[in-house]
Amino acid sequence: MEAIKLVRQSLFHPFDFFYDIQFEKRAKLINAVAIMAFACVARIVSLMLSGFAFRTREAVDVSVPIEILWIVIPWVTWAIANWAVSTIIDGEGKFKDILISSSYVYLPYIVLIIPVSLLSNLLTLKEISIYGGIYYFMYGWMAVMLFLQVMIIHDFEFGKTVGIILLSILGMIIMWLIIVMIYGLVNQAIVFVVNILKEIRYRS
Amino acid sequence: MKSIRNYTRILLLVCAMALVLPAAAYAKSPYTGYIYNSQDDDKPALNGYLYADSFDGYDMTSGSFKSPEDLFVTPDDTLYVVDSGNNRVVHMDPDTGAVLTIYGDKEGKGALNGPKGLFVAKDNSVYVADTGNKRIVVYKPEGTFDREFGLPQSELIGSDFNYSPAKLVVDKRGYMFVSSEGSSLGLMQIRPDGSFAGFYGANHVPFSMTRVFVKLIASKEQRDQLASARPPEFSNLFQDNEGFIYTTSLGIRFDQVKRLSAVGVDTLNSGTHRYGDYWMKEVDGEVEHETIVDVSVSKDGFITALDQTNGELYQYDKLGKLLFIFGGRGNQNGLFKTATSVAETSDGAIYVADRERSRIDRFYPTPFADKVHEASILYVDGKYNEAMKPWQEVLQMDSTYDMAYTAIGKAYYRQHKYKEAMTYFKLGLNRGGYSDAMFEYRKVYIKAHFGTIMTIVIICFILLQVLLRYMRKRKIAKKRSEFLGTMKGGGVSGSH
Repeated sequence: MEAIKLVRQSLFHPFDFFYDIQFEKRAKLINAVAIMAFACVARIVSLMLSGFAFRTREAVDVSVPIEILWIVIPWVTWAIANWAVSTIIDGEGKFKDILISSSYVYLPYIVLIIPVSLLSNLLTLKEISIYGGIYYFMYGWMAVMLFLQVMIIHDFEFGKTVGIILLSILGMIIMWLIIVMIYGLVNQAIVFVVNILKEIRYRS
Repeated sequence: MKSIRNYTRILLLVCAMALVLPAAAYAKSPYTGYIYNSQDDDKPALNGYLYADSFDGYDMTSGSFKSPEDLFVTPDDTLYVVDSGNNRVVHMDPDTGAVLTIYGDKEGKGALNGPKGLFVAKDNSVYVADTGNKRIVVYKPEGTFDREFGLPQSELIGSDFNYSPAKLVVDKRGYMFVSSEGSSLGLMQIRPDGSFAGFYGANHVPFSMTRVFVKLIASKEQRDQLASARPPEFSNLFQDNEGFIYTTSLGIRFDQVKRLSAVGVDTLNSGTHRYGDYWMKEVDGEVEHETIVDVSVSKDGFITALDQTNGELYQYDKLGKLLFIFGGRGNQNGLFKTATSVAETSDGAIYVADRERSRIDRFYPTPFADKVHEASILYVDGKYNEAMKPWQEVLQMDSTYDMAYTAIGKAYYRQHKYKEAMTYFKLGLNRGGYSDAMFEYRKVYIKAHFGTIMTIVIICFILLQVLLRYMRKRKIAKKRSEFLGTMKGGGVSGSH
């Protein structure tokens, strides 16, 4: 019951919700983890349920770990980037608050994605605008929630929030590039060592 | 004793059974069949064509071939071979291996020098592109020299034009369409009297983001130093029995095969269509580039294109949909070293000339290919219902051939069996078709179940109303109790 109340408040009264979450130890990590788990499940279920005409990928092309990464990595990197940027520009949010409150941004996704997938079974490509419209609505809702989250958690005004969001997105991208780079370098280092070992084995 | 006799009996029986069984000799093909499906994924498929035999000329009266460059099949199914290394053209009957005529091997005006292409007109006069002598030679059917055409005089042809006629076709009016090697101006149209009638069907320079970017930032001096972008050159020509000219082009990845209309506009590809392999091999870190060197169109409109780089042949239907891929590069029979030309006789046999090996390989369609051809001819003509049975037989042979599913889906759609159509479109991974079939199916379904659907809708509406009323009531009750609570608390006074 408590959970439903939280969800309702965050979806329909995000102002109060993001304000309250900073107090009274309402930010519980377990809630965030539960939301992300639901988001992952919703994504995978929606991929399975969506109508054939709207399916962009076949079941064989869907990898569960990668789908989960697509959900979890943006969340974690966003929280880190947003925290890093806002601490420099005197934001008030603590890392834990940011991490947990940004997970609530996924709630519209969890609520809407499965009904949309079910609906796509009844739609044809002629009605793609209905399908796309719901998607835009969902993403718009998520964007508004994200915006309010940043604004309220850090107690910024409008212009500054926009700036911080852009900077955080830049930070996310830099983080991803660094991850990819490190992956590549480590990979090459491993290949190098393996090659040397092979060479030694051939010569001995 | 009895047991031994029994054994003998069984042995005899087994021997007899072995005799009854057809002793088909299966030669393993050096290439495995595959196809790009509707999602452009490469999927294994049954082989459409298999290698049968070769002609190298050793046991023929002509003597051995040397670097054959071009093949031509006449309507009576005889084969002309441009035997470039021997500076001659050999006219032979591929069924008997008999040499009928040899052109250009005698001294005199008709002597050839490294010819690369030929065309045989309706009256059996033979037009040869005598590349080494920079001319086109015409022979009479019996093999004697008739006339020749050099570089035509015209202002349209620049003075620095390097004339190197390699391939040609001749249309019904006797106009020659000549592709000159290295020229990007298009096909040269030469009138029967040898005068120049203009360039025809030139390719366009493909759009390149890099070029736009370079132009944007380079200075004028730098731009002058850059090689100017030239339209892709033609590598070969083919005229089908309706008189359309097919061309193949080098150096582009899309629309390498074109069918030109009378005014030189491509009528085969709508949008961009990719021919050849989608995933070329990588050699030393560079992805190889396909080299479509020849194309042949059968009387039923099947287009067979030959890629020299990987030695593979690609057969498409009339609309450019891929049907089969066969061949490859290598030393075994059925693979090529440097394939130069492809031609097809009316019995469906495909002939491929191999320059490096100096021989001509013959391929025959498999029963699977015959079935696909039968179905495809009907399907391309829009006879979906008639094509349904052969397509089903195709699926019995190769259930992953997903063009067949789409074709059957279309047939069901036309028969107003939308549910079956949906099933088949889904199997064929055809989203557009599926969506169209569902649109109709939904209409039919709603019409048939209108009563039920309306009842459900009305019931839902009533339930919703009841729920809303209940909730409103609860809200009022809650408010009242809150109000009463505050009253009891003594916050508000003197209301009544």
